[in-house]
Order: sequence, then structure tokens, then C-alpha cells
Amino acid sequence: MLKAPSSLGVVFFPAYDWAISPTHPERQERLLYTQDQLREEGLFDFEGIREYKPDVAKTGDVDLAHFTFPDVEQVVTSSHLISAGGAMRAARLVMEREAKRAFALVRPPGHHAMKVVHGTRGFCTINIEAVMVEYLRERYGVRRIAIVDTDCHHGDGTQDIYWNDPDVMFISIHQDGRTIYPGSGFPYELGGPTAIGSTCNIPLLPGTGDQGILHMLDNVVLPVLERFKPEIIINSAGQDNHFSDPITNMAFSAQGYAELTRRLGAHIAVLEGGYSIQGALPYVNLGICLAMADMDTSQVSEPTYDPEMIKQEQRVTDYTLSLADQLRNYFMDPPPMPKHGRVEGEWFVREKEIHYDTDGIFERQTEKVFMCGQCPGTVVIESRADSGPLCLAVQIPLHACPACVEKGHEVFETGQRSKNYRRAMLVDRPGKDVKRVLI
Amino acid sequence: MLLGIDVGGTHTDAVLVGTDGLKAWAKAKTNHTDLMASIRDVLGQIVPQAGHEPITRLNLSTTLSTNAIVEGLTEPVGVFVAAGPGVNPNAYAVGQHFRTISGATDHRGRITSPLDEISALEHAAHCKTAGVSVYACVGKFSPRNPDFEETLRGVVHPQADFVSCGHEFSGQLGFGRRIHTAVFNASVWRVFNRFADAVQRSAIGFGLNAQVNILKADGGTMPLSMSRTFPVESILSGPAASVMGIIAVCDIDQDSVILDIGGTTTDIALFADGAPLIEPEGAVISGRPTLVRALKSRSIGIGGDSAITFVAGHVRVGPRRLGPAMAEGGNHPTLTDALNVLGSAELGDVSASRRGLNELAAQHGSDGRTMAQDAALAAVTSIRAAVIELTRAVNDRPVYTIYELLEGKRLVPKTVYVMGGPAKAMAGLLSEVFPEDVLVPGNYAVANAIGAALSRPTLSAELFADTQRGRMLIPGLDVEESVPRSYDLDAAQEDAARYLRQYLEHLRIEDPEGMMETIEAQSFNMVEDDAMVGRTIRVKCQIKPGVLPGYRKAVSRQC
Repeated sequence: MLKAPSSLGVVFFPAYDWAISPTHPERQERLLYTQDQLREEGLFDFEGIREYKPDVAKTGDVDLAHFTFPDVEQVVTSSHLISAGGAMRAARLVMEREAKRAFALVRPPGHHAMKVVHGTRGFCTINIEAVMVEYLRERYGVRRIAIVDTDCHHGDGTQDIYWNDPDVMFISIHQDGRTIYPGSGFPYELGGPTAIGSTCNIPLLPGTGDQGILHMLDNVVLPVLERFKPEIIINSAGQDNHFSDPITNMAFSAQGYAELTRRLGAHIAVLEGGYSIQGALPYVNLGICLAMADMDTSQVSEPTYDPEMIKQEQRVTDYTLSLADQLRNYFMDPPPMPKHGRVEGEWFVREKEIHYDTDGIFERQTEKVFMCGQCPGTVVIESRADSGPLCLAVQIPLHACPACVEKGHEVFETGQRSKNYRRAMLVDRPGKDVKRVLI
Repeated sequence: MLLGIDVGGTHTDAVLVGTDGLKAWAKAKTNHTDLMASIRDVLGQIVPQAGHEPITRLNLSTTLSTNAIVEGLTEPVGVFVAAGPGVNPNAYAVGQHFRTISGATDHRGRITSPLDEISALEHAAHCKTAGVSVYACVGKFSPRNPDFEETLRGVVHPQADFVSCGHEFSGQLGFGRRIHTAVFNASVWRVFNRFADAVQRSAIGFGLNAQVNILKADGGTMPLSMSRTFPVESILSGPAASVMGIIAVCDIDQDSVILDIGGTTTDIALFADGAPLIEPEGAVISGRPTLVRALKSRSIGIGGDSAITFVAGHVRVGPRRLGPAMAEGGNHPTLTDALNVLGSAELGDVSASRRGLNELAAQHGSDGRTMAQDAALAAVTSIRAAVIELTRAVNDRPVYTIYELLEGKRLVPKTVYVMGGPAKAMAGLLSEVFPEDVLVPGNYAVANAIGAALSRPTLSAELFADTQRGRMLIPGLDVEESVPRSYDLDAAQEDAARYLRQYLEHLRIEDPEGMMETIEAQSFNMVEDDAMVGRTIRVKCQIKPGVLPGYRKAVSRQC
């Protein structure tokens, strides 16, 4: 029988009883053919590869990653808690050395869910990677974590959550935001003033194929990771760069994904998007599983695969080569301050407008980070969704200095007394304390 | 009256069961070189005891196929595999005559690349030259479309004594398992059929007009006629007979554990609400996973003949055997010897047991009784650990819906039933480590044969429909039909049950409604370009394992 050189745990949860709507791309059928393919290939019969069921994330797990208004119970369904729990289970497998690597093949996805959550955007309600990252830090004390997002859409939610966090490196490779949802993910988005350079965005032209992404991986992603020296690498594994994906315009193949997975060598992969549920997902997911287990992927291919038809155009190749050189230099030596935002005393302030496309909510935010110099700095967010009440969110980060801990509590108390807010939430990570107040 | 025969590793047991209880039993040493001799032996003992009452059924469990496979006494098989893209099919190569034929079918049963018939013909010619006359034809996703397998069958049929096609075994997916199943089936086909001939001759010789059935690994039976085409289904029927025996003699209606303690191993099986658990994927034979439905069981290397050793300051029992117990003339102390020393058993020469343990203990600065206690404790502790592990694995099995994940039933055993040779002697020790009630059923020594006698037929059918393509298939029953676009889950469930019932009637199996249940029913919308284009429907029905209710009443008071 086949044996996996590297053990792999697959947390498979297709949520066959949940969908946004009957014909929505993110629906019950989405992982059905992947399951058919994995079963038919006998993946779980191979020595070293095992299937696991997900954990279920608790409200407290979500609180470590998000400020949810009005509260977790009213915004998040059990399907989201299970999907995040699937990612947590994958992390647990790796941390407890039950498997060398783990793949959470779960739905719904999460990488468009930002720090503040009022509802669902881009099919995402809570950020399942972020819930997992916080679990890795809180439970296992992992300090330096890298997330490499290979979904075709910019991982704007994950970027937002770790914008001010120098211990989490976020790298996103995606179709250029000028051509696709969510319209962000440009190279100048490098993180907040206390974490600049820990966010890296690599926008690709529509029509980029395996050659282009592998070039970016080798020449930008891997050198940046090499310098960051993460303890753990997580792959936000969106499969929608595939040439057959109905909602994107890229030209990756299952072979490209398998090779990307092999070279990246992530410890944990978490499924994100990917909506070519018949033509791509079964093959791409199989390729990723085999690559993570260090098994032969040479015979994995899509029935419609034709290397000539999806060949990357020369102009795309030229663009990719020159962009890679520019980006590597830029990321290795980033500018000292973010391009957007302003300094107000010891605070760095930026205004944000967030559109929840799935739920039709519009949110305005003012985000302030305390430029402490000793630690990542306490973050304060004022958020108003549509005409709803103004909400206050205060985050005292892990490894905060005593001054920032004090600052956080002070802002939270002043906020409550000010009568400016209806709801307020404080997350004090060093003090392991979460407070929600209805004023 | 029902006649049950269980051909075990050591003994061949037979029982005669009437509606008013156990009428007779017989035992003979199993003759491994001539299983028929053992069967004739017990038949000779037991048939005359039936008197004038007719024996209507003979159920037989046999280790023949298992042994042939494990001992490599099978014949070479010509294997044709249409794999298509995915895992490298050479990983499944078995024997000298394995060949991958290009051609691919996808998960919906659509042919995405044609079958290379020329290369199939070449391989057939090679097999013919090599003198191969049994064949296995297997395609990836053949339960979704058996066309390639049928074409390959057509290629080798003229030169074949027998051809196994993968889709005939199960509608369940599992390409590697399908290959192993079809190959094993072809490889034991001849030896099994010779055995079946002999069984039939013997039955006639003893004047039996009984319907003859063979026990399967899932605790059910199949008619002898069917077993001739699916001999691989008879593997691992021995452990299944034991489990069915417990069901027969005990009134199990809750979560329980069955321990069958033999000479070399202890087999563990689990019951949920009184029904035995089935291995969802299929049995593993000789290290190769198959699609053969089997009861969920785990075997650990602890039995009466397990050697007692001393490793790193600890007394250990099994998994090694170093010959028989000293009480039975061996020269190394075993668990049986320890039980003798502790007074839990009185088997053979008890003084030899005592001498053996005293000697081994003396080498390690202990005394025989202490060592016997340590050994017995080590044995029951290992058994308990294995039971906990198996229960945990069952409770940890993957589920795919939010409902199942959040509401899922957990298996919490209330009772431990112990059977097998050392059962009585071990029961007391087991109750010290198991918080559950530990019970040794009466007649435990022949419960396996009672199980064989009372087992009913089992069968499963997996239906797959694709309304966009207008097709419905039940591969195991060889059903393929056109369906309208309006075909839905209700219609599919009805069809699955109807075809299963028809098949049972065709096999002349009574009471087909008996224990039919739907164990899976799913329908998914297929959407293309934001529009619903059809449904993919999957239904799985089965006749679950069980014993004949009328007869069960007669024997169950013995527990």
C-alpha cells in the first residue's frame, strides 16, 4: 500500500446541510466532488494520511480574533464555528505532533472577515485562519507565524486583522485588485506603523499561470519568509486561481497548485475560496493533499487540462518578472511609515470604509494604534455599521508593554463614560480578559 | 431446523437449532489441509441428531478464502486497470500480470478520455501466453459508469474461466480497494468453487435438502450459489460468526463491547443500541484494504497461548506465541498458565503451569503467583486499553453535516460480553478493570456456530443518480436506468429499496423487508452559471446484520 513520507491530517468538513442560498457558489455541493475524488483515490487508506472531524470553535475563540457586534451569537452560525473549529483541529494535529502537516478542507471560508465583524462579506463571516492563529498563540505559545494567502482574491480580512501585528507576517498573492473583488491588496499596503513590512501584497495580472505564481513564490515569497523566520507557515489555500474558476480570471492548474504547495512547505493549509467545484476542486485539493504528504503528484491533472490553451502570455511573463524584482527590493526595505493615515499625537489614525457585499452592510471605521515603541501598541477602533450605533473596540495585544495595557483600560473606561458609544468591547490579551458592555 | 457450522482456526463447531432451542452440538479438530474432512466430521455427528425434523438451512462460515489469501495459495490473476489521472496506479500493482490501460472516467461517470482497447488486447494476449485464466477488470469511478470495465471484460471473456469486474462488488468509491477486492475475488475463485462443490456433494450425501448459505464478514449470509461468484465475500466470516453468536444468545439492546478471547488474539467488536457496527469502508485482508463489508472489529495479540515475558522490569503478555501453554506440554509459560496458577482456570497439567511461572519468576527475583497476577493484569489492562481506543475511534469518526457534528450520538458501552476459550477464566479479572458489567454468556463455547446458524442474509445497495445526465445506477445490483429530470430523493429511495427487495427475491431469500434500512440519502443541487441544471443523488440501503427472531427466542435465554 502507499505510504506518505510526511504524515498528513485532513480535517474534512463539507457542511452538507448549509448554504448561503441554493445556487450560491458557496453551497452544499462545493466539496462533494472533492470528497468523491479523495474517497475514490483512497487517500485515507494511505499509511500516514488520516481524516479527522473538526472541533467546534467557541465564542471565546472568536473573541480573540474579532470584535463582533452586536455579539457573536447574533452574527455567527454554527457552520462558521465548525469551519473555524476545523482550522483549530488542523493546528492541534500539528502542534501535538499527531501529523507533520494538516489541511483543513472546510467550508465556509473566512479570509474576507476583518477585525470588526457586523455581518458577512465575500462569503466570509469569521476569519477561520485568524481564529486558528490566535488559538496557536493562546494555547501553544507560538510567537512568529506566517500566513501565505494563495486565494485569487486579496485576503483583505486577514490583512486587516494583522495590520498592526509585527509577529504575524501576512503575504497575499492574488489577481490584481483593479480587476476583481475586493479591490485591494496593493504593494504599498505594508501594515501599520508598528508592524510595517509584515504585510506583503503581490498582485498578479489576469491570465497569470503556473509559471508566474511559481516565479513569485521563489523570488518574493520564499525570500521574505526566509528573512521573517516564522515558527509556523500557514497557507490560506484558495483554489480559485484555477483556469476553470467561474468567478476569476487566472490560469493556474492543479499541477501548479501542487508544486506551489510542495515548495511552500506550509505546516497547515486552510481551504479558502475555489468555486470550480467540478472541474478544479477535486483535482487541486487532491494535488495539495498529496504534495503536503510529500507524495507523487505527477499524475494529478484535470480532464480539461491543455497546457497550450492556458499558456501564460508573454506580456504577463514580462510583467511578472519585472514586478518580482521590484517587490522583493520593496519588501526587503519597506518605507518607514504607511502610505495612508495620519499621526495624531502618539496615535496613528486611519479611516476605513467597509462594504459587506453578502449582507449589504456599509461600515465606517476609525482605527487608532498607539505608537508605543516598546510593543505592537494598543489598538482602538470606532465602528458604525450603516445607521447603527457607534461601537468601541479596544485591543490590548499579546506581549503589550505595561503602559499599553494601562492605556487600553483607560481608553475603554473613558469610552464608556463618554456616552458616545452604545456598545463597547475590550480584549486584554496579556490579562486574558474580554469585556463586552452595552451602554 | 437450522444447522450452523463454524470452521475455526482450532475447532470446527456445529449446532442444530430448532424453534424451541439448541438441539445438538458437535465439535471436531479443524483439519487445515482438508477443511471438508472437518465439515464431514461434524455433519456426521450432528445430522443424525435431527431425527425426523427437516433441516431447512445450513449456514457455513469458513476460513478457506482468508487462508488461501494469507498463505498465498491463490492463482495468478490478469489485472486490467483503467486509472486516468490521480494517484499513480502502479501503487496498486499486484502480481505479474498487472497493466494500466489508458482511459479516464470522471466523478460523475463522464468519459473524459477513451479506453485504449488496443493495449487491452495486447495485455490479454500476454496473459493468455502466460497461462492466466482468471481476470480482474477495474476502472476508476466505475461505480459511476461501468462501461470501461464491461469493455475490458469483453476483451478477456473469450479466454477467461472467470472475470471479476470492480463495480460488481460495491457502489462505494475506493479505487485501490476495488482493485484489491476484484483481484482477491478472482484469485480464490477456483479453490472456493471446488470447496463449494464439495460442500454441496456432502450435503446431498448426508441427505440434506437444506438451502446452503455462506457467512460473510458483515455477519450476514449469502446463498452458496452467489458465493461462487463472490467468494471474496466469505473472508473473515469467523469473527463475524462469533459476534452473531453473541447476538443470538444474549438480548443485546444497548451499546456494548464483545470480546472474543482466543488462543492467539482477542477480537473486539462494538454494538450501538444492540446492532453491530459495520466497518464503513471495508475489511483489510493481508494488509490490503478492500470493499468487502465487514463488522467493525479490532484484533490484539493477547490470547490464552500468549507468551509471558519480562521486558524492562515489566511483565508482558503477547503479542508473541512461544508454543502452547506449559499445562499443555509447551515449554514457555503463557497466559493460560497464569490463569491456572491463579486458580481461575484448571486446564491441563496445572502443576506444569506452576513450575513454569515459578522458574520464570525466579529469574527476575519474583514468585510465580505474583508473576501470574502481574501477567493477568497486564493482559486485561491491554484489552481494556484497546477497547477504549476503538470506542474513541468510533466516536471520533468523521461526519459531514452540522447536524451530525453537533447532535452526533456517542457510543458509551454499558456491558462487556466475553466469549472464547479463556472467557470464563478471564471474566473475573476483566471485571476488575472494566467499569461496565462483564458477562459470559452460557454456551459461549459454541456461540459462534449458533451465530452462524441464525444469521440472516445481508446485502447493501448504493444508488447514484445524476438528473442532468438522466442516469441512475445501482452498480452492485447491475442496475442502470434512464431517469427524468424530475427524479428526486424520494424516488431514489424507493428505487433503491425496490431493487434491493427484488434482488433478494431473485435469490429466494425470505423476509426481505426484515431489516431493510436507508443509511444514507443525499441530494445536491448541481448549478452551472447560476442556474440549477440538475441534482446528484446518493442513496445507500442495507439489510442490516441480525439473527432470525423466531429462533433467537429459543436460544437467547442462555445468556
